[in-house]
This record gives sequence, C-alpha cells and structure tokens, in this order.
Amino acid sequence: MKELYKDKFTSVEDIQQRFEAAQYICSEQIATCVYIAHNLQKPVMVEGPAGVGKTELAKTTAQILDVPLVRLQCYEGLDESKALYEWKYAKQLLYTQLLKDKLSELLEGATGLEQSMERIHSHDDLFFSETFLEPRPLYKALHQELGCVLLIDEVDKSDPEFEAFLLEVLSEFQVTIPELGTIKAKIKPLVFLTSNNSRELSDALKRRCLHLYVPYPDEKLESRILSSRVPELSDTLRKEVVSFVQQVRELDLKKVPSISETIDWAKTLLLLHSEQLDAAMVKKTLNVLLKFETDIDAMGDHLRTFINKAHKRSGR
Amino acid sequence: MQQTLEDFYKVIRAAGINVSPSDTIETSRTVALVGYTDRNILKNAFQVSLAKSETEQALVAECFEQFFSFDTFSAANDPHSDNKADGSDEADEQQPLKSEQNESPQAESQLAKMLMEGDTASLATEMKKAAREVGLTDIWFFTQKSLYAQKIMQKMGLRDLQNDIAAMGKGDCPSSIAQAGELRNAKEYLAESVKDFVEQQLSMYGRNAIRNLREDHLKSSKLSNIEQRDFHVMHDLVRKMAKRLSTQYSKKKKQDKRGQLDFRKTLRRNVAYDGVMFETYWKTKYIDKPRLLVMCDISGSMQAYARFLLLFLHSLNDVMQRIDSYVFTGNLIPVKDIFEKYPVEQAIDKIMSDHGMGGSDYGTTLLDLDDQCMADIDNKTTVLILGDARNNNLAPRTEVMQNLHLRAKRVIWLNPEPATFWNSGDSVMHKYKPYCHMAKTCNTLDHLERMLDDLLKAATSGT
Repeated sequence: MKELYKDKFTSVEDIQQRFEAAQYICSEQIATCVYIAHNLQKPVMVEGPAGVGKTELAKTTAQILDVPLVRLQCYEGLDESKALYEWKYAKQLLYTQLLKDKLSELLEGATGLEQSMERIHSHDDLFFSETFLEPRPLYKALHQELGCVLLIDEVDKSDPEFEAFLLEVLSEFQVTIPELGTIKAKIKPLVFLTSNNSRELSDALKRRCLHLYVPYPDEKLESRILSSRVPELSDTLRKEVVSFVQQVRELDLKKVPSISETIDWAKTLLLLHSEQLDAAMVKKTLNVLLKFETDIDAMGDHLRTFINKAHKRSGR
Repeated sequence: MQQTLEDFYKVIRAAGINVSPSDTIETSRTVALVGYTDRNILKNAFQVSLAKSETEQALVAECFEQFFSFDTFSAANDPHSDNKADGSDEADEQQPLKSEQNESPQAESQLAKMLMEGDTASLATEMKKAAREVGLTDIWFFTQKSLYAQKIMQKMGLRDLQNDIAAMGKGDCPSSIAQAGELRNAKEYLAESVKDFVEQQLSMYGRNAIRNLREDHLKSSKLSNIEQRDFHVMHDLVRKMAKRLSTQYSKKKKQDKRGQLDFRKTLRRNVAYDGVMFETYWKTKYIDKPRLLVMCDISGSMQAYARFLLLFLHSLNDVMQRIDSYVFTGNLIPVKDIFEKYPVEQAIDKIMSDHGMGGSDYGTTLLDLDDQCMADIDNKTTVLILGDARNNNLAPRTEVMQNLHLRAKRVIWLNPEPATFWNSGDSVMHKYKPYCHMAKTCNTLDHLERMLDDLLKAATSGT
C-alpha cells in the first residue's frame, strides 16, 4: 500500500495559504488539524453547528489535493449494502437462467456425479467476482488509484451498528467482503467525518479520529470569509452585515444563522442593490437569515438597535 | 522531552479526560510532526489529538497554558523556547543578591553558589529535577503540600546550604556574616518559590482527585443533608447521570415482522434457493421510545428532598424527549413549560415559591391525574411517583392507583423515607404499595441512579 499523495502539504501556513486561494478561509486550528491528518493519515471528526463549513472543508481539501471526493451521506438505516458494496442480483439471476442452457454443454463427457461437481466447482466463483459487484462509496474510496478525500457526512445520523462497521475501515483502511476476502486501500484516503451531535458517538470511534470543533467565526474571520466569497460586496456593507449577524447570534434563537446564511444574505443584499443596511430592507430579507417564524418575531424589538450598532461599527 | 510529554498526559488525565496509551502514542507522533517551534500550532495539535469533544478541547487548552507556562521560567536557557517570556519574577527576587556579591565567597555547596550568583535558570532546572526525583506528579491532596516542598528542598541540598550558613555566621569576618544573612534571605526566597511551584503542580495534578472525592461523598450522602453550596456540583453530577441514562436507552430498535418487504435483502438471502423466497425480510423497524410521566411531591414534609428531586427532574427533562413532569401538593401541576423556559435554579425556585409548601393530598392529586392524564397513559408509559405518601389523613383514593396500575406499563414509587417508616403515622404507603410494580426507598443519588437504571432497562426491554 502506498501511503503518500502526489501533492503534499508542507506546513501549516502552506495549508492556510492554499485554502485561502481556494476561497476557504480557515483558522489556524483547522489548518493544523488538516496538516496532522494528512501527514499521519488519521481520520478527522469535524463537529460544530450546521452551516459553519464542515462539508466545505472536505470539498476544498479534495480540490486542493486534486483528488476525487467520495461522499457518503449517513442516515438512519444505512447499512453495508449501501455504503460498501452490493451484488448485482438481477444480473446474477439472469446469468443463472442463461447458464441453465449451457449447463448440459458444460457437463458433456463427464462421467459420474463427482466429475460433474468438479466441473461446476471450477466455474462457481464467477458469480461472486467483481463483475457482479456494485461498488458503493466506501469501496470506491478504497479503490482510488491516486487516493481521495472520503467524506462521511453526518455520521451521528447512522445506526450504532454502522458506526461499529466503520471502525475497521477507519483504523485499517481495509474492508472484508466475505465472498472476496479483505480489500485494502490502494492509497489511504483522507477521511473527514462530520457530526452535528444529534447523538453521542462511541468512544471507540472518537478515539480513532482527530477531533476538530468548528465554532461560529468571530467578526474578523467572518469578514474575511465574506470578502472571499462575495467579493463584489462593498466594504461598508460587509462590515455592517457581519456586525449585524454577530449580534443576532447573541440572541436566544431556535436556529442561529451560520456562515452559509451570512453569505446568502450578503448575496441577497447585493442582488437588491442595497448600499447600506436599513430597517425596511433588513425586515424584508430577514427570512434569508432566520429560518423560523418565532425567530423572526423575536428579532422585532432588537432590529433597530442592531442596525444602529452595525452602522457605528462600519464607521458611519 | 518524552518525560515532559508524559507529565503533560498526567495533567490531562488529572483534568478528567480519558487518555489511553494509544492516544499518547498518536499524540507523541503528532508532536514529532509539528515540532515545538510554534506554540500555537503545538497547542492546536494537542487539542486536536487529545480532546474528544468541545468541552474537552477547552480543558486541554487550559491545561496546556498552565503546564507550559511553568516551562517559561525554568527553561530560560532552552534554545527551543526563544519565543517564551523569561522568568522575570524569579529574576527580580534574586537581583539584590547579585549586586551585593563580594569577593570572598566561602559558600561551598552547589545550591549556595547558585543562590549567590542568582542563577535562576539552573535553580529552576535543579528544582524540577528534584521534583521529579521525589515524584511530585503523584501529589493528590493539599495536605501533602508542605511534605513535598520539604522533600524537594532536601533533594536540592538544603542541608549543605544550612551548614554553609552556619559556618559563615560563626566567623568574625563581617563580610561573611553579611553573606550568611543574605544566604538566609535567599533560602527564604527559595522556600517560597518551591512552595509556589508545588502549589501550582497540585492544582494541575490533584484537581480531579479532590473533585472525585467530593463527588463520591455527595453521591452517597442523603439528599436531605446536602447543602445549598453543593447545589451546582450536584447539578453537574445529576446531569451527567441523566445524560448517560438517556443515551443508553433512548435508541432501541426492533425489526418488525410486518410492513413493506425488503425485496433486495430477501432476494439476496434467497439466491441460494434459486430465488424462491423462503426467508423474508421486512423494511419496517420501530423505535422503542419509553414514555415517562413523573410526579413529584413538593409539600412541607418533602421539603428537604424536593429541591434535589426537582433538579433531577429538570435534568431528565433536558435529555429526554418524551417526558411529562408534574409537581403536586394538593393538585397536579404540569411543570414542563417552566423547566423549558427558565434555567435550572430559577425554575426550581419558581416552582417552590409558586406551588411549594402546604400539606400534601395524594387523593385529590390522583383524581387530577385521572382527569388530565389517564387518557394518555398507555402500555408504553412508565409512571414515576416521588413522594412520602403522607396524606394528612385524607382519603387515599386507591381506586385511581388501581386503574393506573392496570393501564401503565409500570408504576414506580420512590419514597425518601426508609421502609420501616412507611406505615407509621399518616403514611398511606401500605395502601398504594400493592398497586405499584416497584416501591423502594430512595434518598441518595446512588439510589436514584440505580433505580433509574432499572427503570429504563425495564422500559426498553419490553417486559
């Protein structure tokens, strides 16, 4: 098994710069984590609230390393046959039907039961070979010639049984298919697991992973992210948007706006040609930022003070 | 450096994070990869590889700051630590000595020389070496402080230093008498530094031991004896317990023998039979979610326990979805909303002041229950009653209990009084007991935990 990627990260700063070039602004902690994961070939467990760029991190890493991204979305009831491999039953059945006719040809000249059995035995393995195998994400990930980034998304949504099954994959980078034997990775993939903490994951799984927590960004980082993602936005408006969103996050809301929502909102404001935040405009577009009616109602009283503060912040 | 790393793992463990041997191996590899040049990166590396959750990450960061800040003054001559601050406070203390040095040094011992020269770096190194030799990392309790400090001083050569001071003090030469005085002062400084150092180490290595001791004590002491100041410790403890219980039991699934046929699985399994479906597999799964109805007596007689039972109720409310909580004295009052709206202390105060006190009336409460909730109680519901069954000689209304017993999956009564008191005075426990699946004494956290464990096990195993 080869262990190294064609493209390597040489240092933490190198990662930060290359991520930035790919429009992903990452904190030093994220960069350090990716650096370690890449060099020690350990999976990374990424936790954090929805929409802070957990999935994006894996995508960007794949893009920078120039390897394919294999994504496995977890959900309740996900099992091996959907994650790893499945036999092509229909094809297998069809072949059995076809071969029935060929069977007499095959057995021609064989005398006695023993000889016939022997002849059939020499053919039976064909049914359980890669021809009839339907590869699923994990199998695909292990089979990539140049390595890949494997994203196991929302692993907390999967069942405990599946989590146990992942253990072999993550620590040995190999899987066992009863009919074919053990399959090892050609190059160890770089694995990202994301979790929203909807259930406590087992210690065994946690132990095998580096643990990365991505929080909501602070004002400075969010401003940088916004300027990288929505470069058309004017400086003042960007400052106002960031300041406003930061204040909204302080409130006790059902769903706190995340970075992706900030970006969406900034794009919306841009589309509506607003030059600065004003109460009417904010009210109209608040549904981009907040996703619950109760949250929008809760904003009502704070709207003006937030806007005023945002104006001050941008030096108006 | 390996020793330093091992000490750091010890600190992390003392902070309550589980660090397995394989974790330490991986972390050592990680550290070897990132190197010691950048403090921030090193810290991030530790965080990423040792912590398993968000709170643990904060803990690792804290330990890191504490542990490696000590190195700032000990490793002043270490080439790797050029970015670290020098040990200014120690240096200041030793400054006057250096300036007043004179040319007839009679001090013989190593320690005395170092003190005279104000060589803080070697002093600190020496101190650390001594600390390691006496096994300071095993320090547990604050009572061991002076013992360890003394041991370290001895190892550093306190005896020789004292001999020197005595020898110099005896002579007639005024300069050596003055020097003896200075050395005496320096000894004081040294003792002070060593004590500080030991204290700092204790706060790192010993913090978990003390907390564990306290928590163990709290777990087994009677709920009524626990004082207000321990309330927040109890809160954490109870929360931990409730969380553990709920994650353990909330997700049991069963394959059902009905519903949609899982065609793929069935076909796959029956290929061996030439596609004739002998074994069938079904897609339907149902998740067994236990429903819990808890009612807690907060009358005058229960006052000593009520706060903690409410605390427990609040924690359960936080971690379990399908739970209905009620309190009662004379009437049944739903408190789920209050728990959801207010933080724990406020919620409990509010409930106690709004509804607390007064004599309990189990009869009316049961009638209320019959009225409001009986329709929702089914064979998946477990009813948990926390109370002392002291009915103030009112009608017990056992017929409702009987009904409850028939409808609910389980009825469990937890009584803070010991069983021998159950039938004394106005207690009507003996009348209710036949209609409970389980009636037990429960007046410590340990009791509570064991009880809940049983309860949830029974609730999910389908008995």
